[in-house]
Amino acid sequence: MSILYLLIPLGLVLLVLALWAFFWAVREGQFDDLDTPGVQLLLDDDDAPPGDPPASDRDG
Amino acid sequence: MSNAAVEERCFHCGGPLPWGARRTLKVGGVPHAVCCGGCEAAATLILSQGLGRYYEFRESPGPMAAGGTHDWTVFDREASLRRYTHERTDGEREASLQIEGLHCAACAWLIESSLRRLAGVSDIQVNPSAARAALRFDPRRVSFGAVLAAIRALGFVPLPLAFAGGATADFNAERRTALKRLAVAGFGMMQVMTYATSLYAGAMDGITPDLEQLLRFVSLIVTTPVVLYAAQPFFVGAWRSLRARTPGMDVPVALSIGGAYLWSVVATLRGSGTVYFDSAVMFTFFLLLGRYVEMSLRHRSGLQHDALARLLPESVLRLRGATTERVIADELRAGDCVRVLPGERVPADGTIASGTTEIDESLLTGESLPRPRAVGDTVLAGTLNLTGPIEVMLERVGHSSTLAAVARLLERAQGSRPRVADLADRFAVWFVSAVLLLAAVAGLYWLHVDAARAFPTVLAVLVVTCPCALSLATPAALAAATSALAREGLLVTRTRAIEHLARADCLVLDKTGTLTRGEPRLEAWTVLDPRLSAERCLAIAAALESHSGHPLARAFAHLEPAAQVSDVACVPGRGVEAMVASVRYRIGRLEYVLAACPGAPAREAASGEEERTSVVLGDPTGVLAVFHLADALRADARAALERLRSLGLVPQIASGDRAGAVAAIARALGHLPQRSDLSAADKLALVQALQAGGHRVAMVGDGVNDAPVLAAADVSVAIGSGTDLAKVSADVVLLGDGLTPLVAAVLISRRTLHIIRQNLIWAALYNGTAVPLAAGGYLEPWMAAIGMSASSLFVVLNAMRLLRGAAPRSARLEHTAPAGAHV
Repeated sequence: MSILYLLIPLGLVLLVLALWAFFWAVREGQFDDLDTPGVQLLLDDDDAPPGDPPASDRDG
Repeated sequence: MSNAAVEERCFHCGGPLPWGARRTLKVGGVPHAVCCGGCEAAATLILSQGLGRYYEFRESPGPMAAGGTHDWTVFDREASLRRYTHERTDGEREASLQIEGLHCAACAWLIESSLRRLAGVSDIQVNPSAARAALRFDPRRVSFGAVLAAIRALGFVPLPLAFAGGATADFNAERRTALKRLAVAGFGMMQVMTYATSLYAGAMDGITPDLEQLLRFVSLIVTTPVVLYAAQPFFVGAWRSLRARTPGMDVPVALSIGGAYLWSVVATLRGSGTVYFDSAVMFTFFLLLGRYVEMSLRHRSGLQHDALARLLPESVLRLRGATTERVIADELRAGDCVRVLPGERVPADGTIASGTTEIDESLLTGESLPRPRAVGDTVLAGTLNLTGPIEVMLERVGHSSTLAAVARLLERAQGSRPRVADLADRFAVWFVSAVLLLAAVAGLYWLHVDAARAFPTVLAVLVVTCPCALSLATPAALAAATSALAREGLLVTRTRAIEHLARADCLVLDKTGTLTRGEPRLEAWTVLDPRLSAERCLAIAAALESHSGHPLARAFAHLEPAAQVSDVACVPGRGVEAMVASVRYRIGRLEYVLAACPGAPAREAASGEEERTSVVLGDPTGVLAVFHLADALRADARAALERLRSLGLVPQIASGDRAGAVAAIARALGHLPQRSDLSAADKLALVQALQAGGHRVAMVGDGVNDAPVLAAADVSVAIGSGTDLAKVSADVVLLGDGLTPLVAAVLISRRTLHIIRQNLIWAALYNGTAVPLAAGGYLEPWMAAIGMSASSLFVVLNAMRLLRGAAPRSARLEHTAPAGAHV
């Protein structure tokens, strides 16, 4: 069971690493907006034709 | 129509097309119809920038881009830049904007993509969940006002937020802090639970004392940041509520977390006794999770949060001798004289120097009826000028105003606690006191019987009863319901609305702007006085109506108004009176105009057919002209009302409009009961009479004169395109441009009430069994913690069923109703 004396502190180190990574992600704004990036992928398409220039007309 | 555009709804805003709409837009050669010039301009702009994909990916139709000739240049003033922006070291400026009409990721993408093409805009990031945008621009290449105008051109309304101001708490900073606390508690919980499981297993199967001590020390190390950092809000909250002498749920929370921690620390250091690190950490995590959910909800509803800050006008007309100048509210000083038009908010506390009007002070005083105010009377910052233009000599501006004092009080009272929690807290005060008392009694009892069991028992009582089921029962359901409603296109501004909406059995609807599109157009006019040309009549009418906040006044907005207007007075629901070129004119309802010309010749006989809405222009000699206005019925009104009726809400129309026009609408909607010719006071009386008859009244309206009625009804709904005032006094705001979401709203709120009831019954049963067990010493603190967590989880999961929303979705009506029945 003496392996626990190594594994438990090691677990603590991992815990600190995980927390550090999470804090970093929060600080970088990774969690600020969880909606837009998913859709951005679909919307930003550089190959897309820039849309037909719309012709606006009124007949009344 | 000469081309093939036979769509029933506007391509841009999704609203029904006005009768005889002739505006079309070619997209890839296919013509699409648009409802108005504003939408046409916005859609043209979006398509010409190659951003047409917005229309494929948006989740809800865009905001209607109509109207608004707002003067954005006021934001280019030095004082505005200082207030709303912040200069970076490289000379660029940063600003934070709230954006109205922003509902989905596609809107955010549209604004970002379009604005990034604007020379001088270095970066813009739009966050749809908070309806905020972070902007960075180069003031040497583009002006602040031009950036705001560019956002407006897309159909959204940008509201600059004061930079680093106290009133506009930074959502992101708050969210980030909450996430960090949650992470510390969550990671901590996972670790401590494994140690605790080992310790329990060890207690049963045997463990070496060294290893046991190691596990306890490691638990101590992991728990310390959880208690000191993650659980900090509970300690702060408990201290605050104790000082205010209203013990809230935070007190037992802080006591049990702090107590369990300190006891365990002592036990660990002494190397004997039981440790309760697991209880403390688990408890912290679940509570933080609940708070986090509530915080997200509060951010999303945005409206309520900023309501106070937004009560002050962004720009004000300041009078300097004979000249007027539009300035931002920050530039005002005591002693300045400003002109406040009807529909505008008073920028600071002061005294009326000229003009008479009615002021709506409901937001400051809770008084729902407008107060008459004349020269010499005091008006307060943030109150709304309803009827006549006034000139105000300012006395207390900015932080010394009454509004600022109220805001400070509110801030102090609310602290950082979310609104939803308040509901539960009123109930919590006595509940908490009872729990504390019970814990003390149980502790004293066990001290005499078996001193060793006293502390674990007290702890078990505190943990087992704590907020879990009882305090989460209502907020969790309300939070889930609010999210579900937002998905259906409704913003809930006061959570009490959900309860009242579920119980409402009477539905009172305004006509103009609610059942109809509220975009009246001038159809025809008859000039009755041969001395005047039609052009002159229209110019006078336009001049008078430009001072009115009434929806019908918009029909005149496109006309060139006559000059030399003075002495304007508005009577809500009746009309406007003013001097034009030294003649006193009245425009509005026939009786109102006739009241100014007693004994005038009976020219009014020709005042138009009954079924059309007419506005009459007159001077002291009699009626001069009659204008016929038309307003199209909302396409979904009939289907939505039928569904609502089948749900037990009896709809009726209460309109200030004339009988004929109202009857036509009522007929088109399947012979609804209707009341016409109602003033704001009549509508109020109608609602109060219904309430006195034991009905619960839901009121739907949108106009300035609906505001007192909205405030008086049990639950009020405002149409998103309505006036700001209606939105502020309403409990629920319909974001889209139709009534259909109301059906879903009623269904969701009824399910919510059902679930709240289930949750409360569960909480009562749970506490009823768990507390006596804990006080009797039958529960170990770890069992109490598991019971508490399971109970919380049950309540939250039960509430989450609202988000699955099978019922609301089936209730969503397809837009199959014929468009724009014309009346």
